[in-house]
Amino acid sequence: MAATAATAVLAALRGFFGRFRWRPQAPALAGGVRGAARSAAAGRPDYDLLVIGGGSGGLACAKEAAQLGKKVAVVDYVEPSPRGTRWGLGGTCVNVGCIPKKLMHHAALLGAMIHDAPHYGWGVPQQVPHDWSKMAEAVQNYVKSLNWGHRVQLQERKVSYFNMKASFVDEHVVRGVTKGGKETLLSAKHIVIATGGRPRYPTEIEGALEHGITSDDIFWLKESPGKTLVVGGSYVALECAGFLTGLGLDTTVMIRSIPLRGFDQQMSALVTDYMASHGTRFLRGCTVMSVKRLPDSQLQVTWKELASGGEGTDTFNTVLWAVGRVAETRNLDLEKAGVDINPKSKKILVDAREATSVPHIYAIGDTAEGRPELTPTAIMAGRLLAQRLCGQSKDLMDYDNVPTTVFTPLEYGCVGLSEEEAVARHGADHVEVYHAYYKPLEFTVAERDASQCYIKMVCLRKPPKPVLGLHFLGPNAGEVTQGFALGIKCGASYAQVMRTVGIHPTCAEEVTKLRITKRSGMDPTVTGC
Amino acid sequence: MALRGPRSPPSPSLLGSCRHQVLGPPGSRFAPPHVGPASGQSHPKPSPGYLRFRSAFPMAPYLEVMVSGFEDFNRAVEQHKGKTIFAYFTGSKDAEGKSWCPDCVEAEPVVREGLKHICEECVFIYCQVGEKPYWKDPNNDFRTNLKITAVPTLLKYGTPQKLVESECLQADLVEMLFSED
Repeated sequence: MAATAATAVLAALRGFFGRFRWRPQAPALAGGVRGAARSAAAGRPDYDLLVIGGGSGGLACAKEAAQLGKKVAVVDYVEPSPRGTRWGLGGTCVNVGCIPKKLMHHAALLGAMIHDAPHYGWGVPQQVPHDWSKMAEAVQNYVKSLNWGHRVQLQERKVSYFNMKASFVDEHVVRGVTKGGKETLLSAKHIVIATGGRPRYPTEIEGALEHGITSDDIFWLKESPGKTLVVGGSYVALECAGFLTGLGLDTTVMIRSIPLRGFDQQMSALVTDYMASHGTRFLRGCTVMSVKRLPDSQLQVTWKELASGGEGTDTFNTVLWAVGRVAETRNLDLEKAGVDINPKSKKILVDAREATSVPHIYAIGDTAEGRPELTPTAIMAGRLLAQRLCGQSKDLMDYDNVPTTVFTPLEYGCVGLSEEEAVARHGADHVEVYHAYYKPLEFTVAERDASQCYIKMVCLRKPPKPVLGLHFLGPNAGEVTQGFALGIKCGASYAQVMRTVGIHPTCAEEVTKLRITKRSGMDPTVTGC
Repeated sequence: MALRGPRSPPSPSLLGSCRHQVLGPPGSRFAPPHVGPASGQSHPKPSPGYLRFRSAFPMAPYLEVMVSGFEDFNRAVEQHKGKTIFAYFTGSKDAEGKSWCPDCVEAEPVVREGLKHICEECVFIYCQVGEKPYWKDPNNDFRTNLKITAVPTLLKYGTPQKLVESECLQADLVEMLFSED
């Protein structure tokens, strides 16, 4: 009884003050490093804000807080991948995600345009070779310039930067260790954890760790990956397989169950259909059993066909695992700070204010449970958090209707609910789906296959028929979807979309011309102007 | 922190064997380029391709190479292939040792100060790009071949690491460029 009351009082006091309070350091800890331990003893934290992780979320939060006058430090460290790949400041997006991915996707699209060019009169030879090393060097140089840009920005905004691996000593003190083993203690009033995630290796599969690579490595390869097996059905898997195919490499994708889990499944099927009819080989319903290195240094992969129980085997130059990502929380010693995680996903549990189970410790980005694994949401959440911590704002991050795009060879942009989600939430009778197959003008002259170019708008059936979700499959899907995301954010109705005049000739205008419902059963193919 | 070498001014008997100093006594061999605020003293303009060499005794210092113009610059880079090369691009100086580029005049002492943090065995190329009309030509060699868009520019050759214009005036940025890898 007394214990509970005492705990309750302590908890109330903690919540009430919510500020840094000095805790006596355990003798073992105080023995080692001076500096932070001493200032902690004096009751003064080293920093107002300490950000662990220098990626999209972490840097945005740190820079915003510094701009608002706070004393900020960023601790960033990249554990090399099992292959030994490492990179600089900026996080996953800059180094091994969005940026190099989009550049290589663009390189592949350029290949397709070269192929179309003769139709438009260009005297381009049909067989144009692609030099992976040249592309990789250009992409890697651009990424390095971004690393440097972030470095300069942090310095200019007076944000202290430490290239150290961080872990908690207690709820206000973090230990940082450099590559060389040097230790520093840093204390802060508020701490933001933005350590992101890393690709998962299926270590249960023989040879997976020793012989396979992941998205951490593919963008930093100096030599072409050659004939590649991409394992996984995620957007990482499909985007990588997509550009590898587009660059002329023999590419196979192995998907155990469904592609793009979590996305609208009708659209996902169209995405993979397009890839399958444009040179990517798919092995559906299969899982890898083993990966072995052959004397000629190729990789022998054996797999099981789940439906038939049969086996398959083939040789590849590269095996790329894209079977999910794991939050980087293992080595943070979160228990020492009292920060709770989801034991399954290892992600940090947060509330609507991005606060963890410890009031002055926050988590944003991929490392936080229930958040979209996207750069723009991490950035916005980081900035809003900084503003709240500095007393500038009370606004919380809105995670609804976040638009995104999968940059597969035929791009898929979406915002809002999938058809399945809308039906699950409102019931099939209350949902109206407008759809259309269309043909981009650019595909006509070049005789390109537009069978999967498709748009779907999911609305509530009841007037004013608010738009619940928009799904666009076609060229430049990201550019098309961005503007419509604003419309949905403002609560656009089907009538308002129909009143919006289209820009002609574009693919985006087809959204404003959606008239055929799924319910009607009519042919949704667009014909001419 | 790595040892940087002696900081005492060079004695005449050790000329040519000591680490390059930030402020040379006026009129000494170390004087060009003039590094303090303009003092009205005249200093000889270095001849094109003039190479200043510091021996590796007693501790390996950095090497400073002074060049003028694009061809000279490329030659210096070729000569020191394989080493870490830093390059500072400035508007050329007149007979009085003053550059036509006011930002360059302001930045130079900051860069000189930052050189204290440069790694050993590194090469520092001090490059005068040319007269103002040459520089203003949008097709000048530096712009087209090296993508140098402004002076002063301080960069680590072969990497995207560079500081441009007002960034060169910030001592902590300059120090960061010279010391970080």
